[in-house]
Amino acid sequence: MNDPYQVLGVTESATDEQIKRAYRELARKYHPDNYHDNPLADLAQEKMKEINAAYEEITKRRSGGNRAGGSSYGSYGGYQQQTTYGGSAVVFQQVRIAIQTGNLERADALLTNYGDHCAEWNFLKGAVCYRRGWMDEARRYYETACQMEPGNQEYQDALDYMENGPRSPYHPNNGSYGTLCAPNPCWTWCCLSICCNGGWCFFI
Amino acid sequence: MFGYVRPPSSLPKDELERFRRAYCGLCHTLGHRCGPAAQFILNYDFTYLAVFLSDGEAEPLKCGRCIASPFHRREYLDRSGAFDLAADESVILAYWQLRDGVTDHDWLHGLKYRGLSSILEPAYRRAAEARPEFDANTRQQLEQLAELEQERCPSLDRAANAFATLLQGAAREVKDPTKQRVLEQLLYHLGRWVYLVDAADDLKEDAAQNRYNPVALRYGLQDGLWTPESRKEFATTLDHSIHMMITAFELWDFGVWTPVLQETLYMGLFQMGRAVLDGTKKKERRRREMHE
Repeated sequence: MNDPYQVLGVTESATDEQIKRAYRELARKYHPDNYHDNPLADLAQEKMKEINAAYEEITKRRSGGNRAGGSSYGSYGGYQQQTTYGGSAVVFQQVRIAIQTGNLERADALLTNYGDHCAEWNFLKGAVCYRRGWMDEARRYYETACQMEPGNQEYQDALDYMENGPRSPYHPNNGSYGTLCAPNPCWTWCCLSICCNGGWCFFI
Repeated sequence: MFGYVRPPSSLPKDELERFRRAYCGLCHTLGHRCGPAAQFILNYDFTYLAVFLSDGEAEPLKCGRCIASPFHRREYLDRSGAFDLAADESVILAYWQLRDGVTDHDWLHGLKYRGLSSILEPAYRRAAEARPEFDANTRQQLEQLAELEQERCPSLDRAANAFATLLQGAAREVKDPTKQRVLEQLLYHLGRWVYLVDAADDLKEDAAQNRYNPVALRYGLQDGLWTPESRKEFATTLDHSIHMMITAFELWDFGVWTPVLQETLYMGLFQMGRAVLDGTKKKERRRREMHE
């Protein structure tokens, strides 16, 4: 295991409070909510494990090896571990497995060959689109799924995520997050008048 | 389609200076590898590409004069494998963008693009010889984009996918498999974001000239004017792409480039998107053109 202090980005002389703060900041960054349906969720999960292990190791060392680790952030959820399938058709289960393993072509092929475009079909089509980065189409499929089966919480959660994004996205220093968030009045001038020896491009 | 990714000036001075050294370093690399004509394609977007491909360690510096600074010697980043790759890919991208401009315009208005692409052609040949796979991918994706434009494809995602896949291809030569995955996601969504922001920026112009615009078709906009609902929905789709870029960025250590990339991704892109949706980006460009 790497040096746990290095993993958390603190020195050995850091206070317990500083360590806890560093841990929380990293845990927020790699939290499953932040990597919901993300093709790189497996890498984030690895990071999370490393951070949890480092925090527990430091807590153990500082308590003379007697105490179990602090309350670390544990389970890595998101789409990947939602294994209770709503759809009854075997093919939909196969689609979910294909999505989980990152085999989007197979998932899409299975859906294309399935004639009944029911709510579950639209939901899974949306999930494939989202993982491909086709965010607009994903939202439209989720909308259709919700219209066809309004009471389904899984579909509604997916649509809410498309409409509002992650519940509390990580931002260093807790800054604003979003294109339509409150603008900084100085920005227009700042961004457009950068003068580091050019930046010109004649075929914009 | 370039000019939307820029280092926010809220960056500390030394970080802006670091980025400036990379910008100048890429300019020297372009000149060295592809000849002086290639130096004229230099922009911030290509500098970001070089930064993404870099290994994150402090590169050795050189000092010298150049056409933009003929009297004062300026520090710049020395050539490296990543800058060579970024220079070649930039030339290929710029060349095919110019060729695209030739096919998009009539004979008279295409003259500018035809002339510039002829000047860049020797540099392009050298770059394409060094990176045949990237060249083939770029050409293929731009052809696909042209077909989608021809059939007036109303899907935002399908149209943006071609440009996103094109940019994603820039990470194909990255050796480390984790970094390659991270960069592929980051560049895909950067390409998607750039394409969509560019389309939003051109809404009124395209409407006036009855040109294809995927954003106008998707939301059924009249005269290139947003409705509050469509504006909000479009901003959300941009935010999802930025979120995908940010989450990818956080999974790789970009070393000395972390501050500039962090500021650009967490602040610069949102701010640029906002300026485009508010129309202030376009106004500023017109003002600058009038002054020039």
